[in-house]
Amino acid sequence: MENQDKLEQDKQEEPVSLLSRSLVTGFVGGLLGGFFGIVLFYFNFSEVSPKSYLLRSWLTASWIDSWLGTVLSILMIGVISLLTAFIYYVLFKKINSLMMGIAYGIVMWFIVFYIIQPIFPNIPPLMELSANTIVSTVCLYILYGTFIGYSISYDYNDTMYKLRADKERKS
Amino acid sequence: MSQNKTKSPIYAKIDKNKQYMKDRVGLDTSFDFGFRELTVLKTKIQLYYVTGLCDGEVVQQIMRQLVQINDDEVNTKKVPEIVENRIIYQQVERTESLDESVDQILSGLIVIFIDGIKYAFIVDVRNYPGRSPEEPDTEHVVRGSRDGFTENIIENTALTRRRIRDARLRHEMLKVGERSKTDICLCYIDDITDRDLIATVKEKLNRIEIDGLTMTDKTLEEFFSGPKWKPYPLVRYTERPDVAATHLMEGHVVLIVDTSPSVIILPTTFFHHIQHAEEYRQTPLVGTIMRISRILAIMMSIFLMPLWLLFVIEPSLLPAELSFIGPKEDGTIPVVIQILLADLGIEFLRMAAIHTPTPLATSMGLIAAVLIGQIAIDVGLFGPEIILYVSISAIGVYVTPSYELGVGNKIIRTILILATALFSIVGFTIGATLYVLYMVHLKSLQTPFLWPFIPFNGRGLAEILFRVPIPYSKKRPSIVHPKNDYRQPKSKA
Repeated sequence: MENQDKLEQDKQEEPVSLLSRSLVTGFVGGLLGGFFGIVLFYFNFSEVSPKSYLLRSWLTASWIDSWLGTVLSILMIGVISLLTAFIYYVLFKKINSLMMGIAYGIVMWFIVFYIIQPIFPNIPPLMELSANTIVSTVCLYILYGTFIGYSISYDYNDTMYKLRADKERKS
Repeated sequence: MSQNKTKSPIYAKIDKNKQYMKDRVGLDTSFDFGFRELTVLKTKIQLYYVTGLCDGEVVQQIMRQLVQINDDEVNTKKVPEIVENRIIYQQVERTESLDESVDQILSGLIVIFIDGIKYAFIVDVRNYPGRSPEEPDTEHVVRGSRDGFTENIIENTALTRRRIRDARLRHEMLKVGERSKTDICLCYIDDITDRDLIATVKEKLNRIEIDGLTMTDKTLEEFFSGPKWKPYPLVRYTERPDVAATHLMEGHVVLIVDTSPSVIILPTTFFHHIQHAEEYRQTPLVGTIMRISRILAIMMSIFLMPLWLLFVIEPSLLPAELSFIGPKEDGTIPVVIQILLADLGIEFLRMAAIHTPTPLATSMGLIAAVLIGQIAIDVGLFGPEIILYVSISAIGVYVTPSYELGVGNKIIRTILILATALFSIVGFTIGATLYVLYMVHLKSLQTPFLWPFIPFNGRGLAEILFRVPIPYSKKRPSIVHPKNDYRQPKSKA
């Protein structure tokens, strides 16, 4: 009997904590945001792309222009997004409102395009960017902020609700 | 339920009841409402019925037994108990209210009044005219069960119970509507469904004060969705019992409305509308591929036309590889007007197809294919590329399993086309962003509409994108807050 292969349905599930779920949300959000950033750049909606931020600022190798550079920059954005998700988790997870996510996205855009922009030598300053670029990237960051913010807030409130319901059921 | 009715009790004298029936229900005016008077053990009893709604054979059996009481029994003091004992049927209840008796008679049950007694017996011998379960038009599967819900609420609840024989499946019956008094059955599984959800649904149903629910489930949906102009459906409809049973087991609440074969599934998300029973009837891999193709088709039906319009207006946006996109020659009519006219044409076709009787359908198909397609291009009204993209988007709308979602997507697409035409790139990006934000903000009974995408839930999204094989899907989707999470037993340690 012990030698029989366990059926798939008999394998145990591991419980996943709220923090790790939020970090996964951050990573996936970063991947999606990076992917759409590349798409926006490909269709000339925006003059800047994740590649130009992350790779071209420091390296000028030729492999950056190929698929490898694209995939690598998307993965890097995913990793950076872990940090932004963690910040949101620590500061704002209790606020259960859609506007918070939108505001978070706008603040991130501001930080990236205005405050830390001097670090990247090949990104033009804000005033020199075309209107299309500004609008497209703002929209992308709003959606990214909503994705991360709303997911984490909703997850937190949902977990609290379930804990309360479980407690009531047991008492 | 109305609060203004005065509850009139049943009179002891049987003639006073008859007078009430004459005044209120038109005893001598309507031909199908009548009564049969019998004398049993020296007491008068009257049996009220409505022809056509009750089962004649069963009523005859009951009357035969009642008449036989005269031969078998002699105790004239215990007439009600004897009569109750002799009513040959499984569902017999007592009532002391005349209003309730009238309601029940008009629903097809029969009521037996006894002279000198203040209560009456209600016997449920309903037999509604209707069709037998057939496969629904809009939800075909290549392989699988082919029965569908009918207009009869009793048959529908029976079809559901057949698939879930659990002791904890509850079917609560409510009546809504002053004049129509439509039966609504609230179905849920007691130890899976969240209590708050059931309470919310019941409270909303009880608060409905309306004359009649003749357009059944659609009218009911509007009470749940709220009075605003929303393009998207916040409930899911189905006509298949297996789909309804699956949702019940996930923890949703199902509302069955009498006289309608579509049942309402609450709460629902966007992704529920793009799933179809067909995917579960094939192997997991095939099901996954079908599902992903379907999602692609739906995305195309919303975004393809505005995107193409954007590239036509601003060819500089196209990278070098895709420069073939865009009409080769400029027609005399601006592209936007062509697109809107073509969309309108497809709407006309759809409405015509619904109203055309079947014998004329082939000739109409010919007109559509030949006229609209080829001749419109030759005349110069449309460019060939317009027809191509409009057709792809139209097919995308029909691929959507939920008809209501398809129509909603079409409205959104038209709005996006107008925004792109007026404001070009800025219009498209802001329009698309506002659209996604709007969908995030929609809630169906406290359930976010775009769950599990935003708010993100890894397991939920994986189950949507990949048709997870049944032995692997151990937990129910968490969005309906099921009390009992595990579908399959945990392993023995």
